Amino acid sequence: MYVIIVGGGKVGYYLCRTLLAEGHEVLIVEKNEAKCERLEEELGSICLRGDGCETATLAEAGTGRADMLIAATNEDEDNLVSCQLAKYKFKVRRTIALINNPENETVFKKLGIDVTVSSTNLVLEHIEQEVPTHHLMHLLKLEESGLEIVEVRIPGHSSVAGRRVRDLNLPQGAVLALVIRKDQRPMIPAPDTVLEAEDQVLAVTSHELEDALRLTLTGQRVERHGN
Amino acid sequence: MDFRKIMVPVHGSPVDAEVLKLVCRMAKQSKAKVFVVYVVEVRRSLPLDARLEGDISRGEDALTQAEQTLEEEECEYESSLLQAREVGPALVEEAVERHVDAIVMGIGYKRRFGEYSLGEAVPYVLKNASCPVLVYRIPALEKPE
Amino acid sequence: MKVVIMGCGRVGAQLAALLDSDGHEVTILDVDSTSFRRLPPTFSGVALLGDGTDQEALVKAGIEETSAFVAVTQGDNRNVMAAQIAKHIFNVPRVLCRIYDPLRRDLYEDLGLEAFSPTTIFAQLLRDKLVEAAS
Repeated sequence: MYVIIVGGGKVGYYLCRTLLAEGHEVLIVEKNEAKCERLEEELGSICLRGDGCETATLAEAGTGRADMLIAATNEDEDNLVSCQLAKYKFKVRRTIALINNPENETVFKKLGIDVTVSSTNLVLEHIEQEVPTHHLMHLLKLEESGLEIVEVRIPGHSSVAGRRVRDLNLPQGAVLALVIRKDQRPMIPAPDTVLEAEDQVLAVTSHELEDALRLTLTGQRVERHGN
Repeated sequence: MDFRKIMVPVHGSPVDAEVLKLVCRMAKQSKAKVFVVYVVEVRRSLPLDARLEGDISRGEDALTQAEQTLEEEECEYESSLLQAREVGPALVEEAVERHVDAIVMGIGYKRRFGEYSLGEAVPYVLKNASCPVLVYRIPALEKPE
Repeated sequence: MKVVIMGCGRVGAQLAALLDSDGHEVTILDVDSTSFRRLPPTFSGVALLGDGTDQEALVKAGIEETSAFVAVTQGDNRNVMAAQIAKHIFNVPRVLCRIYDPLRRDLYEDLGLEAFSPTTIFAQLLRDKLVEAAS
């Protein structure tokens, strides 16, 4: 695979090293001369000095034959433009942008960037895992379908505990995939499966239905026993 | 100094023969072997192993010419055609791999944007090669363009 | 008409002053408060400290009710990003954007932005002046 990385900072450097070790062809596009020299000294002829937001630079980089472009500079707007250039001008199949402001995730998606990685969100997700008050955790995003796999822990106070799956008012489109109960084998929930407090439920849902799913399973606003 | 293997990068220009004759004299003194190389530079828009027929045949011509000169001078030699992204790093790496103990580079008299220019490869080799490097520049033109 | 301008440089400040004196409702955004000194003392619109690529700042500037958004910071990429947010996230009816780099301008024009390259426009203007004088 031919991968172009825009930005020769720490992320670019480690990405490049890893991809090279995996046998890929890699090129870093970096504006700063000193950074370029340092990269080439260590990794060989893998650096092109130039602005990765400029058509001419990306043409020289051979973006037309690249399988993937990763924009990993510190500036969200630069990453957006590099990815859009790659995508629309050079028809690169896969573009990945690093983003700093987590709000930009939706913007970038809407503007055609295939994958966004937000370091802020990654850290937040880890905080969510540590803090028990969050009952819903993101486990995995399925990029192609726009779905995600989330984990919900049924809280002790939840009115869902003791009820059958078929009686839950699950948002349409959200599916419970697995129930993990302490000291038992994981089970695929059937309509008659009765959920218990402290069950870990893995569910597949779209991003939009996430809140509704959270409310249903943590029982904070269940219709029949509602508060 | 005693050299056993001297590397000479060639370009297919008239400078090549001049440098090679000079190197042959050095080589005979220390019974050294001459190692001529030509580097085909591959643009990033092409994969590194692309077959650039025109460039390759130009390189082969330059090497044939060089070999002829070396034979006339009765010098022991080997030759190699390399394909790389950049000339400078390719020469430095090849020198290490082939255990070269000196590099002699011939250059023309070039001006770029009105200023005298060494180009990119020569300064890179001067800065990075681990062995001694000699640069032979042809006489300056009376009236530089 | 309500207009949000991002970037209070010479062009941004001048545009804000013009629209303001024409009686339009202008909000101008900049990340550097000293740049608001470029606004004339008569300016009656709103000058707001904030980054136009940040959705929160845009909402504060009234992007949801504005009928036009103009991106004229020094950075092409910042302009491009803010303009796209205004157009695609907030559905602002009219979005104008400055992009110095002519090639980048062409791409974003193809992607539906109303973008202007001062580089191209000024070069053409100079050429026209020269040709005009010669004939």
